[in-house]
Amino acid sequence: MSTSQSKRRISNGAAFMIAVFVPITIFLIVQLFSDPAVFLTTILKSLAMGSTYAIIALGFVLIFKATEVVNFSQGALAMIGALFISFLVADETIPIVPWWSEGNLVPIRNPIYDLGLPSWMAWGLSFIVALFFAALIGLFLERVAIRPMIGQPLFSVAVITLGLEISLRVLANDSAKLKLRNTNTPWSGKGFNIGDNFLYWSFFAAMIAAAISVVAVFLFYRSKLGIAMRAVARDQEAAMAQGIPIGRVFAIAWGAGAALAAVGGLFATEPPIKQTGAVDAETSLVAFRALPAVILGGLDSVQGAILGGLIVGSAEIFAGQYLSGYTSVLGAGYPLVIPYVVMIIGLIVKPYGLFGTEEIRRV
Amino acid sequence: MKKVTKGFAPLVALALVAAACGGDDAADESADAPAAAEEPADEPAAADEPADEPAAADEPADEPADEPAELLFDYGVSDDTIRIGLNADLSGPFASLVSQIVEGQEVYFEMVNEMGGVAGREVELVILDNAYDVPTHLANYEEFRLESEEGVVFFTQSTGSPHTAATVDALAEDNLLAIPLTWYSGWADPDLGANVVEINATYCVESMNGVQYLAETFDAETIAIVSLAGEYGQDGAQGAKLAAEALGLEIVYDGEGAIAGGDQTPIVTELVAAQPDIVWMTTTPTTFAEIFGGSVAQGLQAQWSGNSPTYSYLLLNTALADALSAYYTFSTYTALWGANDSEGMQLVISEMQKRRPDAIFSDNYIRGFLEAMTAHQILMAAADAGDITRAGILEAFQSAEIDFMGLAPNQTWAGDPNDYIVRETYLYDVDASIFTPDATVSDADGSTGSVLAAGPYAGSLAEGFTYEGPCFVAG
Repeated sequence: MSTSQSKRRISNGAAFMIAVFVPITIFLIVQLFSDPAVFLTTILKSLAMGSTYAIIALGFVLIFKATEVVNFSQGALAMIGALFISFLVADETIPIVPWWSEGNLVPIRNPIYDLGLPSWMAWGLSFIVALFFAALIGLFLERVAIRPMIGQPLFSVAVITLGLEISLRVLANDSAKLKLRNTNTPWSGKGFNIGDNFLYWSFFAAMIAAAISVVAVFLFYRSKLGIAMRAVARDQEAAMAQGIPIGRVFAIAWGAGAALAAVGGLFATEPPIKQTGAVDAETSLVAFRALPAVILGGLDSVQGAILGGLIVGSAEIFAGQYLSGYTSVLGAGYPLVIPYVVMIIGLIVKPYGLFGTEEIRRV
Repeated sequence: MKKVTKGFAPLVALALVAAACGGDDAADESADAPAAAEEPADEPAAADEPADEPAAADEPADEPADEPAELLFDYGVSDDTIRIGLNADLSGPFASLVSQIVEGQEVYFEMVNEMGGVAGREVELVILDNAYDVPTHLANYEEFRLESEEGVVFFTQSTGSPHTAATVDALAEDNLLAIPLTWYSGWADPDLGANVVEINATYCVESMNGVQYLAETFDAETIAIVSLAGEYGQDGAQGAKLAAEALGLEIVYDGEGAIAGGDQTPIVTELVAAQPDIVWMTTTPTTFAEIFGGSVAQGLQAQWSGNSPTYSYLLLNTALADALSAYYTFSTYTALWGANDSEGMQLVISEMQKRRPDAIFSDNYIRGFLEAMTAHQILMAAADAGDITRAGILEAFQSAEIDFMGLAPNQTWAGDPNDYIVRETYLYDVDASIFTPDATVSDADGSTGSVLAAGPYAGSLAEGFTYEGPCFVAG
């Protein structure tokens, strides 16, 4: 691409963005002054929704940066992680499926709840154990389904992850006989009022969890293992020649990705995404809702995951709040379309995503 | 009109006694010991013609005084078996619900067969999975409709409104009856549902009762109506609108058919802006939870209710429990497990405990029993009339009166729909304080948090409602 072509594209992109965002900004300013309490609530809901999307997007990015594969099973991993949390904290059991039980779960008492700890601390420790179990699932999947495909076409691997998504979801639904399983978070259903509007503590918990996740991922990429992962992402053959164990790097990426999915799965059961605070069969769909955030931010960018999540989450919440009077024109399900519209607009301007590396091929 | 319970009530009484005694020997003591047809007709009579040479019931083993000498039968019936069909969703979206309803029927007919069956024949349930898919439902139907012993004589389950609607012409052509697992008001319309054995009140009538109950109990002046699109959602919404108009309630938000998948923020926003006194919903429990929870969080303090199954007691196991206690009234068509001490309730509980002691009990088994009781009593009426051909069963249906023994309002289909549509429903207060997280029914071990507030309840609107056709017809 020549310099003049590039400049023209930027110029067209800027004009396009101005045309889209100036009217939106004016509209939002009007809303701010017409009802500040609702506007503030909407902003906080947007940040919470965006934070949850960002956590899930980080899982996608982590796995993609190491393996160049879009892991379509992130949604099922999110649901399974949230299920682990539910078993450990609501039932106070550790679920196992022994070979003699014909696929049925056999619960074992969660010993954390026998330590006499304050309930919030027992919940926190159990949450960490649940993330560990989720990571084990990720490691297992990588070992049996992904590692044998090293060197094979990436499209085939991506389709395998799609198969994993369906299989895991069905297995989880069947073995847990899933209806509604509470996650019993210490902040469940709690919050405070601004005017008539109730702000859930889960909004702030999601933001804090997203911040911790981002910091953890940044620190990880600065560690020796993280540097090895970046090297693998850049050139697998060169990394192998340098003695970097690619299999181990893949496994860690999948384990960490699955743990992040579990965190995202937990917040996918809470306001503003769900009101029940419970895992259900729809929990896994959150990954597909977050997918536009991943693409918009750039598949291989941590910063992109965060920004993409926040943009997409905000667009969804603001559109749901302020365009509700136009369902006869937009259709009743329009909030679900909004993230994809935002993604398309973003890709028109930045085809590789806001922070994506231009060489990256999208799947 | 012919009461058909004369043989049925002793059978049930025997079942209860047998269950109480824990014995199985009641089978030989059936008060309705039927005639055995030793030689069925080689060539069954065509369904639209009476059998010219009906099979003779030669020597009844234990002939009751009024047992007819001859018994006509044709398709789906042999000299020792009566086959009834279930075109049921066993692997689709309603599989968990329907599987329990089907199991309820299985338990009921195990009891019937143990006591001698119907007309000396064992009742065999032929169950095919429609996977909640209309083409699969129609393909299954082709197997059921066979004009031979391999066909069925009656459908005791036809899952799904569009699925059942797709077979109404064939049902009429084949003289087959079907019990639908839907409460669409169109089934009472003879033009649509002449061969459809609807049980309990319709969505439309349920809405009328629910809205009137809420309006009068909570002194409401405004209402919001929110529903899914389609027969379920919009039949319920239309009933709520009829009630609102009759009661003079202002509809401050009309969300008929407005619910779509995913994020429900637009509906929540509209509800909160409208500030209704009551909200009537026709949707699924998960969608209801999103709209209800989101609205309550934004300060809406309305009273809520909705068509069954908008609400599920499982929601009491979530963060919404306290809000549901404060703002929700649960509406449904039948008595819930353990909600009364009727003969029918004792029968369901004792038979389930006896025959499926390891099952996770639920109110779905009551629905299974209601369907099975309907089929059984119609079959018995047909047998009493000496004709268990498909046409004979259709005739028996048109004059039958079904006794649900306190599980639900009794039911007939005789005369004009206004003479027989069911106008009573049940309303329950939701009380999270008595809810037991592991409970699946209310019994000595726990509670699902539902306390009977009114029922069988028929408000003045439902009582005075003149049925002139379906409340909702899809465009």
